[in-house]
Amino acid sequence: MGEYLSFVDINTWELIFTWVNLLILFLLMKKFLFKPVRAILDKREEEVRKMYDDAEAAKTDAAALEAQYSEKLAGAQQEAREIVEAARRRAAEQSGEIVSEARNKAADLLQKANVQIESERKDAVNEIKSELSSIAVDIAGKVIERDINEKDHEKLIQEFIDGIGEAS
Amino acid sequence: MNGPQIYFTIPVLGGIPITETIVNTWILIAFITTVCIFLTRGMKIIPTGRRQQIAEKLVTMLYNLVEEVMGKKYIKFAPYIGALFTISILGSLSSLTGMRPITADLSTTLGWALVTFVMVQVNNIRAHGVGGWLKSFTQPVVMTPLNIISEIANPISMSFRHFGNIAAGMVITSLIYTALASLSSFVLQIVPSVFIQSIPIFQAGLPAILSIYFDLFTSFLQAYIFCMLTMVFVQSAGE
Repeated sequence: MGEYLSFVDINTWELIFTWVNLLILFLLMKKFLFKPVRAILDKREEEVRKMYDDAEAAKTDAAALEAQYSEKLAGAQQEAREIVEAARRRAAEQSGEIVSEARNKAADLLQKANVQIESERKDAVNEIKSELSSIAVDIAGKVIERDINEKDHEKLIQEFIDGIGEAS
Repeated sequence: MNGPQIYFTIPVLGGIPITETIVNTWILIAFITTVCIFLTRGMKIIPTGRRQQIAEKLVTMLYNLVEEVMGKKYIKFAPYIGALFTISILGSLSSLTGMRPITADLSTTLGWALVTFVMVQVNNIRAHGVGGWLKSFTQPVVMTPLNIISEIANPISMSFRHFGNIAAGMVITSLIYTALASLSSFVLQIVPSVFIQSIPIFQAGLPAILSIYFDLFTSFLQAYIFCMLTMVFVQSAGE
């Protein structure tokens, strides 16, 4: 005890101890401070970068999906338009068909009705004519009360009928 | 004023002295390691504790400083600079606890400065080859002796600067203590009591204020200068 080195002194053993101690401290600090902290910082950086990458990927995916969907939507709209168009065309065609059919039918009906009317009219006229002729004969017979010869008779009737025929 | 005390001598190789400086260095290494383990225990990627924040802040600051001064190429030096700065500043600040500062021993600072010196030379050789390294001393030719002297002067000036500042602070502090003790006993002569006369009342207060400069400021400044010079020398050797 009580032994001292001098105040300004270079001691070889102290120098060696200084180097060894510095090396030991360097290794200890590296192991217990720098390495773990750097590892944590690197890991965090890695994680943040990964997050950014993921977000970027998600963004790209979303954009792709959006494009896909809008394409699909446009396709669907186009399809819908086509369907509506086709339906309209078909409806127009059908309605045209229906109308023309109806028109045809109506025309047919009209025709038939006309024919019927005509024939009925003819029938009626003929009936009336024959009736009239018998009436006329009756009337004539009754009014004149005389025998006119067969010839005159026939002639009169014929004239009468003709006159009616023209009047009708 | 004495140098470091020799606690005991290991009787091999002509006697290895275990001095105050060496023991104090071991204490500091144990302390620093404990603090490091404490700060980095249970670190998480998403930081939750203040300890981790402090550890990260310190390491990030160190790496930023080294990158700023030496460039990205030399970022591998950051742990060494960090260790050197830590032992230097705590070695000087330990005087606040009454320990003899390890940096008030020329062997310590010279040891560190020689490490820097070797690093500089190795880095120079690595960057320019042995030929380029030798040639760098002869630029210009007439200056060769001066170049060699200035290269050798670097570790000497670095070690003496650090040692001198801390040792001088220690000397001045003890001088002031002694002077204040004398002043106290001189002033207290008017009190007729030997006990009261022996109380060095003036030692309270003033040394604390001076200690802010001689211990805190100088410790920090010298550690900073030493690390800065190491970084600049090593970096410029590789240019």
